[in-house]
Amino acid sequence: MRSSSHHSGAAVAESDSVRTPPFLRLVAAGLLILMMPLAATANGGTIRIGMTASDIPLTSGAPNSGFEGVRFTGMTLYDALVSWDLSQADQPAPLVPQLAESWSVSEEDPRVWTFNLRQGVEFHDGSPFNADAVVFNFDKVFDEASPQFDARQAAQVVARLPAYESIRKVDEYTVEITTKTPDSMLINQLPFMFFSSPAHWEALGRDWGAFEQDPSGTGPFRLSSLEPREQAVLVPNANYWDESRMAQAERIVLVPIPEATTRANALLSGQVDWIENPPADTLPMLESRGFQITSNGYPHLWPWQFSFLEDSPWLDRNVRHAANLAVNREEIQVLLAGNMVPAQGLLLPGDPAFGNPDFTIEYDPEQAMALLAESGFGPDNPVEATILISTSGSGQMQPQEMNELIQQQLSQVGIEVEFEVLVWESLFDNWRQGAEHSGSRGAHATNITFATHDPFAAIIRFLDTNSAPPNSLNWGYYSNSEVDALIADLRETFDAEENLSVYRQLHEAIVEDAPYLFVGHDTGPRAMAPGVAGFVQAQSWFQDLTPVHMAD
Amino acid sequence: MDQSLGPQGLQSRVEEYAEQARDIARSRGYWATVLHRLLRDPVSMACALVLLTLILLAVLAPWLTPYNPSQGSMLNRLAGIGTPGHWLGTDGQGRDMLTRLMYGGRYSLVMGIMPVLIAFFIGTAMGVTAGFVGGWANSLIMRTTDVFFAFPAVLLAIAISGALGAGFVNAMVSLTLVFIPPIARVAEGVTTAVRHLDFVEAARASGAGALTIIRVHILGNVLGPVFIYATSLVSVCMILAAGLSFLGLGVRPPAAEWGLMLNTLRQSLYVQPWVSVLPGAMIFLTSLCFNLLSDGLRSAMDIKR
Repeated sequence: MRSSSHHSGAAVAESDSVRTPPFLRLVAAGLLILMMPLAATANGGTIRIGMTASDIPLTSGAPNSGFEGVRFTGMTLYDALVSWDLSQADQPAPLVPQLAESWSVSEEDPRVWTFNLRQGVEFHDGSPFNADAVVFNFDKVFDEASPQFDARQAAQVVARLPAYESIRKVDEYTVEITTKTPDSMLINQLPFMFFSSPAHWEALGRDWGAFEQDPSGTGPFRLSSLEPREQAVLVPNANYWDESRMAQAERIVLVPIPEATTRANALLSGQVDWIENPPADTLPMLESRGFQITSNGYPHLWPWQFSFLEDSPWLDRNVRHAANLAVNREEIQVLLAGNMVPAQGLLLPGDPAFGNPDFTIEYDPEQAMALLAESGFGPDNPVEATILISTSGSGQMQPQEMNELIQQQLSQVGIEVEFEVLVWESLFDNWRQGAEHSGSRGAHATNITFATHDPFAAIIRFLDTNSAPPNSLNWGYYSNSEVDALIADLRETFDAEENLSVYRQLHEAIVEDAPYLFVGHDTGPRAMAPGVAGFVQAQSWFQDLTPVHMAD
Repeated sequence: MDQSLGPQGLQSRVEEYAEQARDIARSRGYWATVLHRLLRDPVSMACALVLLTLILLAVLAPWLTPYNPSQGSMLNRLAGIGTPGHWLGTDGQGRDMLTRLMYGGRYSLVMGIMPVLIAFFIGTAMGVTAGFVGGWANSLIMRTTDVFFAFPAVLLAIAISGALGAGFVNAMVSLTLVFIPPIARVAEGVTTAVRHLDFVEAARASGAGALTIIRVHILGNVLGPVFIYATSLVSVCMILAAGLSFLGLGVRPPAAEWGLMLNTLRQSLYVQPWVSVLPGAMIFLTSLCFNLLSDGLRSAMDIKR
């Protein structure tokens, strides 16, 4: 009796005073306990989200599992110096100040950037966000000698911030970041650098493992509980500094469901309220049963990233062009129930930096065969290649079905491909290891999708000669002096207009050289229960969960 | 003999006939009798017929179907059962289901039978060696196989396949490894039981060498029970193989294999439920037939009692 009354102190004290019979007190306490979850869901409700990841992404500050991790355990629990404004559906998401209020690039030395930090921001544990915390976090991933260095977080972040060289505290709310070379793209890389509480890490005995279970960031949500491979529960951060982004739901529950049909079934059976990337064939059925379907084109590419090692058939540009001309993207759209924008290049067709490339990507099997014949390939001497693919993954759409279809289409012009199937996490890890690594199993291309929201994300990390492993994600060791020169030019062009012009030339050069099989752009389909409200699907890989709630 | 048969007389008459039947059986030979008994078992025969049909369909697939199992037409995707030209419908890429099921039998049947067959030879050799030699050899072999028993078969198959990497051959290797320990254990048990029987001692006393004793006296007694046990594993192996492919650890896409087909078609469950369950039905039918046939074989071989 006594032990149960501890849970509801006030009510039981009252019932003690009127000397209620013991069994009634037990019933009262039981009812109160039953009512507690009801009271908790009344305001804003609980949204359970079925993610495509197979585990809860890392919660200590640098999420794994690709950009889906950034979306769910990065931007929710943490903030960055700059981030995207994800509140609009009708325009590409722009970069906006977040924990940095403003910044400037030194005129004497364009490698030096000064950031003025937002004041009065607190971590979830109540400790202040300041220049020391910023320096602490950069050292956490870049300085192996620092006590707070965490290899797991570093593995996620370092490749995303190749411009960074060093950081210096100027005063309590000012830091100075120096880049390796003058680099206008630093600003595009900073959204991936999240800030964990140094004080909380100290309080947990300097243990990042413990920090994962009990993290402390500055983000709009706090982590309430974490059960690896099962669920993570996010609750609003009542002290969040940005009043326009106060979390509206009472709880967000993240559930990893890597298998697409299982996700759809979980939504149908009411186990979750929201699923990422439902299988295309279930969309008409879900819609007819009253579920909300959202989608929006966004800067994303579903490619095969070619290897340029000696044994790769893709070294021959004719073969690369032929493959791009042999893919019938309209058929793939049919497979995906329309949820794909056919690729004409790396960027979305309407992107201001798309330009006017000389090579037009379209379905033209005759031209493909002519190009192959020019290079000495033909029906008796097909091009042979092995491709690394996954069966699921963040942004991968429906990889197995799409790849099988592409395989059939390529086969018709004389390009015979085989697949090596890896689990998504292995495929993703291999991206950083490169085509030479044994984990690539001698494959000639890898099928990993990526965001293309800025020149760094879209191009530099994959196609700059200096981005070859282990520096960044130039998996195939692509090296093109024209592309390198344009990237160097882009880095040093700080004027917005000129920057766009260089970016346009760069995109044109890449489409013409075709270091990828350009297949399509995702539209990020999502399905939600009828009661889910407030969600605005931004034109971005990333989405803001703060306005989401359950309608009454 | 007395005309009026009492209960005891009837009993003796029955025993007499039974003895005659045994004589006939002996005159026919053991395996001929087994076959004879098997042929008179309608369930076993039906299963054997189904399996034979499946094997023929798989082997003769290129001559029986005009379609290529890995080329389809997106215009015809997810056609229903009974569609003209595609009797069993088409899959998500418009490939003919009947064709893919026929070709799929090639992988699925081979993956169901071959690992067990190889494990039968290796496991029997290991078990007989362990049982006959005894002592340290027994300890070494049997304790090593005991390690494998620490893991459930499914988990072990997934773990080994995962370590070796996806692929048809690797899946076969992992399944073979999974089935060697149980077969070795059965073979060792029977060998140990037979080793000290009088006829073995007699053979040894009359100067027969170890290999002769194993070949003539031990294997003759061991192969029967181990073979029956191995046939019962085929259905398990088929399901495990399909499971590996389902998980992406078996054959590579776009190969038509029932487990992989089932995985791919799951997405279309809400559009064409009947087409989507076809590969599962094939796996079910085939493993059921193997199981019933194995049961029938066991009864047929159980002549002595």
